[in-house]
Amino acid sequence: MSFSDAKRYYVERRIAERMVATAALSFASYFARLRMDLDGEVEHFVNAFTVNETYFYREDHQLRCLTTNLLAERVAAKGPSAAIRIWSVPCSTGEEPYSIAIWLLENWPLVDRHEIEIVASDIDTAVLEKAREGLFGKRALMRLPTEIVAKYFTPEGPDAWRILADLRDSVRFTQVNIVKPEETRPNGRFDVVFCRNVLIYFDDASRRIAAENLYENLEPGGFICLGHTESMSRISPLFEVRRFADAIVYRRPPGERHG
Amino acid sequence: MAEAGKRVLVVDDAALVRLYYRGALESHGYEVEEALNGLEALEKISGAAFDLLVVDVNMPQMDGLTFVAKLRDLPLPVAATPVLITSTESGPQDFAAARAAGANFYITKPVTPEQLVALAAMLCGIAP
Repeated sequence: MSFSDAKRYYVERRIAERMVATAALSFASYFARLRMDLDGEVEHFVNAFTVNETYFYREDHQLRCLTTNLLAERVAAKGPSAAIRIWSVPCSTGEEPYSIAIWLLENWPLVDRHEIEIVASDIDTAVLEKAREGLFGKRALMRLPTEIVAKYFTPEGPDAWRILADLRDSVRFTQVNIVKPEETRPNGRFDVVFCRNVLIYFDDASRRIAAENLYENLEPGGFICLGHTESMSRISPLFEVRRFADAIVYRRPPGERHG
Repeated sequence: MAEAGKRVLVVDDAALVRLYYRGALESHGYEVEEALNGLEALEKISGAAFDLLVVDVNMPQMDGLTFVAKLRDLPLPVAATPVLITSTESGPQDFAAARAAGANFYITKPVTPEQLVALAAMLCGIAP
């Protein structure tokens, strides 16, 4: 197998995930497990490469929840002309923040009424660079209806599409380590944070540190969306659980003042 | 479509808003260009003729109403280009200020795609 630089990121991240999942202390010990196919590791390894790669409109039930419930609550709390801030962290190569922007254009009737700021952050500068470029392959676009691809992307070569400049300009990219307050704080307070499928890779202590760190980046009454296999209730008691028709999300309780 | 070839300039500092209006207009056959503020809009209209200008009010560098007032002081025919003002404000003083600046029509955001194309057709003189 050979991989481009962009793929290299996925390879490294997927291998790191498998090392965490198998409690491997070194790459050498993980590689030994893989070669011996202990506990069916070859299949896990292959699955890690084929099912976890991110793509546009992934877990779109949360996007539906965003426009059906979450933004309505935030607008009701903040007023009819307030700015709305949304954070995608980690954003990887940009599929999630760009999906949010496209989803808002297609599904939120107030999209021209509110100043919308979408911030997208990742610890990895290589993926941020890739995200800023906004060039995507067929796999990343597989869930998007063809008319959406035609409307928001320009074909570049046989299997590559460039997202429109206005969408690139709609997302601000920053580097951040979510366990470091000095890196998360400068991003400010958000109405909705998407933090999907990253906390599962942390140990319990780091998970709680990260979650409570992100709490400080939420407006009182602001929401945080996790991956569908993740539960904040098992991570930190600070958040309220909110069950909507399309998704379960967590909220920083409104009304209390931040000290 | 009667809209085919009609040229619209969307002037708004928010990229998402420009894209939103552009998507609605292009799906009905309009050709759309964009400007980020009044200053950039002045440059665009000096380079090419437009059938309609869709102009936001609150923008950095040059706001929408200042732009419209400057437009109306330019030589004909460019000075007569129809202007649709889009704004989050909806007070009587806001309508009056837009009219005084020389706007043809004023609509309060949110603007639906249907409203936008209907107004564009009207202001471009396309029979319904």
